[in-house]
Amino acid sequence: MKLHPILAALRKHKAGTVLIALQIALTLAIVCNAVFIIGQRVERVNRPTGLDESNLFLVSQQWVGAPSADNADGVEKLDAMQREDLAALRQLPGVAAVAPTNSLPLLNSSWTGSVSHKPGADLGGKGDIRTAYYFTDEQALSTLGLRLVAGRNFNAGDVQHQGFRDQRDRPVAIISKALADKLFPDGNAVGKVMYSDGSNAPTTIIGVVARLQIPSIGSWGSSFAWYSTLIPTRLDGGFARYAVRTKPGQLDAVMRAVAPALYKVTPMRVLDDDSVKPFSEIRAKAYRADIGMAVLMGVICLILLCVTAAGIVGLTSFWVGQRHRQIGVRRALGARKIDILHYFQIENLLIAGVGVVLGVVLAVGLNMWLMTHYEMTRIPLLYVVTGVLAMLAIGQGAVFVPARRASNVPPVEATRAA
Amino acid sequence: MLKMTHLSKVYRTEVVETYALRDFNIDVKEGEFVAVTGPSGSGKTTFLTIAGLLETFSGGEYHLDGIEVSNLNDNARSKIRNEKIGFIFQAFNLIPDLNVFDNIEVPLRYRGMKAAERKQRIMDSLERVGLASRAKHYPAELSGGQQQRVAIARALAGSPRLLLADEPTGNLDTQMARGVMELLEDIHREGATIVMVTHDPELAARAQRNVHIIDGQVVELSEDPRFHTVHAAAGDAHA
Ligand SMILES: Nc1ncnc2c1ncn2[C@@H]1O[C@H](COP(=O)(O)OP(=O)(O)OP(=O)(O)O)[C@@H](O)[C@H]1O
Ligand SMILES: [Mg+2]
Repeated sequence: MKLHPILAALRKHKAGTVLIALQIALTLAIVCNAVFIIGQRVERVNRPTGLDESNLFLVSQQWVGAPSADNADGVEKLDAMQREDLAALRQLPGVAAVAPTNSLPLLNSSWTGSVSHKPGADLGGKGDIRTAYYFTDEQALSTLGLRLVAGRNFNAGDVQHQGFRDQRDRPVAIISKALADKLFPDGNAVGKVMYSDGSNAPTTIIGVVARLQIPSIGSWGSSFAWYSTLIPTRLDGGFARYAVRTKPGQLDAVMRAVAPALYKVTPMRVLDDDSVKPFSEIRAKAYRADIGMAVLMGVICLILLCVTAAGIVGLTSFWVGQRHRQIGVRRALGARKIDILHYFQIENLLIAGVGVVLGVVLAVGLNMWLMTHYEMTRIPLLYVVTGVLAMLAIGQGAVFVPARRASNVPPVEATRAA
Repeated sequence: MLKMTHLSKVYRTEVVETYALRDFNIDVKEGEFVAVTGPSGSGKTTFLTIAGLLETFSGGEYHLDGIEVSNLNDNARSKIRNEKIGFIFQAFNLIPDLNVFDNIEVPLRYRGMKAAERKQRIMDSLERVGLASRAKHYPAELSGGQQQRVAIARALAGSPRLLLADEPTGNLDTQMARGVMELLEDIHREGATIVMVTHDPELAARAQRNVHIIDGQVVELSEDPRFHTVHAAAGDAHA
């Protein structure tokens, strides 16, 4: 309704108008993309591993003067030592289940390979599906809190052992649902066979768990992040990891009891502060960089928004000062306070409107540039629309105080000497 | 039209109280053309700002068009300013960011008038002041006299019943001042009530009635028709 005279007046204040519109455009472009990146990080950090992460901790320990795993005799001795440790841990009060494992989701250590429908397939060949292995035993599911959705759990008879550098047939495996669906899109993977790591010996899939993330969270693993294979085999070496599930509320107590119990089995081992870690700590460490990045971007966004808001407050205050007299004249000519308030609000809406239109173009452009240069997906419309609305709201918020000051300029200002 | 009784206006600062007006009485009838004169600082502008509802007063009564204005809220005062009163200031007070057309449109927009009627009134009033060809000019591109005529056009466009002018010719040379005065006389003939503050005795003499203000109080010099005629004649002789 009153757009024409406001636009006409703005034409006389091009520099300030253009600067603020550009500032709004740039802020919108950067903040939209930054918030999108933050959103992705948050989503990534919050995705469930498939484990029941509460009451779970990991023991990583190393024997001192352990036998060599390069000969059968050494492997048997090492396995005996591992079984002794497992027995000791399982006897601790407050412990619900214990399983040996080469790794856990989010742990920076993994054993990956590939599975296929055909025996003796070339590693990394066509038709191969990448997977990460968890070498463990019959207590894996209860220890890790994995949910079996088809087939059966491992039993003690399934469990084998091998030197950690040895190759051994893998007669049975439990795989994650994602991997099962990938291998057998028609469903019903249980009872079917697959061939792992180019072996000629079949591996029968005896069970499927709902979800299990691979250890690596790096981008190289992102294509098979949910393709996990559980092999009922204890790996024997100078080094062993045990996942421990405690009864609810007993995590701290059991963690404290671990070192004495293991030292009692044999003191010839290295257990330091880092050796007994709750899963929450593993998760925190894994995503520290992501969270740091998200926080940094959030802070940058906040600063940008504050600077833009301050710019609007500054420019509007300057204009209110500059137009003090004409505000008085407008009041003398019959403008109500609310008319003056609306004048500055509409003026800001116009400038911010131009700014956000430009900002949307810049935001999409920046997103496309990020997509070609970095791993980035297309920014959803919701982020842009929310950004636009937020920007307009910030503009209105920032303009309100100086605009209200303007509306309080008394009409008698019109008579004061220029 | 405009009646003030025992009106007072005090400006308070931390140290002093200044009585700009005290026991101020005036009664301007509908259709009158009153010239207000007086020494500098006597309260002429103060009187005009109160009369035009630009400012409130400290005591006494003021009836404008039969309404006691001291009880009106800010919005009601704005509405009266917009619809009943036209202002002409010594410093013209055009809005520099807007061209002549848009300047005249300002009060009409606040009245919520339709675009077609606004345009009609703007062109009519520009015609009236002889500046129809300058509608697209900006104030800075006009002479002082032209600017004041635009200001008069702005005041006229809303067809106010009361026109308040504070030294409308103060910033103009004699030639331009005379043009502005003739315009005011035209407007007066068409029925508007005019109150004009001026330092120029020649212009004051052309009004129907002179009100002299000294120290914030009215001193009626003359309502004598002869006084009026003599000065009017003198003015004519000059021209
Ligand atoms: N805002 C104000 N604050 C304090 N005192 C004021 C204010 N405005 C006017 N005054 C005082 O009120 C008195 C009357 O001022 P006013 O402007 O009405 O005089 P005037 O007759 O218009 O003078 P001039 O002919 O110089 O324009 C003066 O003493 C002036 O100093
Ligand atoms: Mg004055």
